[in-house]
Amino acid sequence: MSRRYEPYDDRTQLARYIDRYPLSFKRTPLAPLVQRPLTLSEQTGPVPADLFALGPMDLSKTSPDAPRATGQLIQISGRVTDEDGSPLAGAAIEIWQANSAGKYIHDADQHNAPVDPNFTGEGRMMTDAEGNFQFFSIKPGAYPVLESGWWWRPPHIHFSIFGKSWMDRFVTQIFFPGEPLNETDLLLNAVSDREVRERLIFQFEGTSMGEVNAMGFRRDFVLRGRRQTPEVD
Amino acid sequence: MVVSPYCTIGPFFPASFVQGHDDLTHYRGGTARGQHIVLTGRVLQEGGDPTRNTILEIWQPDANGIFSSCEGADPGFAGWGRARTDAEGRYKIRTVLPGAYDDRCPHANLMVLAIGLTRRLVTTVFFADDPDAVHDPVLDCVKDPTARQRLFAKRENAGEYRFDLILRGEGETPFFLD
Repeated sequence: MSRRYEPYDDRTQLARYIDRYPLSFKRTPLAPLVQRPLTLSEQTGPVPADLFALGPMDLSKTSPDAPRATGQLIQISGRVTDEDGSPLAGAAIEIWQANSAGKYIHDADQHNAPVDPNFTGEGRMMTDAEGNFQFFSIKPGAYPVLESGWWWRPPHIHFSIFGKSWMDRFVTQIFFPGEPLNETDLLLNAVSDREVRERLIFQFEGTSMGEVNAMGFRRDFVLRGRRQTPEVD
Repeated sequence: MVVSPYCTIGPFFPASFVQGHDDLTHYRGGTARGQHIVLTGRVLQEGGDPTRNTILEIWQPDANGIFSSCEGADPGFAGWGRARTDAEGRYKIRTVLPGAYDDRCPHANLMVLAIGLTRRLVTTVFFADDPDAVHDPVLDCVKDPTARQRLFAKRENAGEYRFDLILRGEGETPFFLD
């Protein structure tokens, strides 16, 4: 099925240049981006189900019988749709995040916070027929961006989504509501519009009690792309 | 509905999400048809400094010019892949020389994700012995002849093609409106 993709509207996106974020000035191209037609090559993409093996949807345990990672258990849910509001079924989602102490499992993380051996820090999953996804994790901690000398990142979870094509391939970070560091984060505040900023923040969905005791958070995603509508003469 | 905001991939993309994806030539127990090549180069920022830990993704047709999501595609070829740059900004992807199809010349789509970039950058690398003879609807959008040349991979050793991505400044790679 042929789809329609418009370039991202800058008003719905973060600024490309961010004050006090030097790398944005060293890596953003100087020349204007070149307009091009979209051919089959750009309008296709990998079949999400073929990409990788899916992992467990619980980052708080290394195996079902293992002890839970330290920190606040959270349940994250959401729905992936296109710009028409149609669900993207079978979209592949990759997530990664810091542990409750603000430490990533990564060789580039120099922060002197402890690694939690019970926390996986990453997950791969797929949306169901209605475009829904859901996973358990531990609320990530805040952490300092050491090379900045001042900047602390508020708690956030990274999302990478494969939808229908090369054009709707999507990567972002989602923040938690009410965090004091949200007010000073360079990335979250690189949006001029209040509604755009809210699209980067989870909604608190209440708590669950019983067999599962967790705080619930929700974030829906709208990926670029619409159904092709026949042109009217 | 309004599209969700992109945000930078950050410095901590899990190594396990890259592992194994930098070789498109072996897929699900099969081996890709066509000429196997190594696509390699550096991702550099302003001043020619290397970018470490940049994530590069690739999407290209198989040796016969068929995409893996389309009928008749080579089942031994992955079509999509991903690599991470090292401390020198170097990446390496094993793939096949893409086939031409319709009006498109042999090419591969590339996506750059890195700290400092709030959104991805997209470009296309072309493969040809004589770049001046190539006509392609995407390539032809780059009007400046010097910039156009920068979209071609250089054949170095047998089966090795070099393609540097210069994000900003002298020798800047053309990137497409996204």
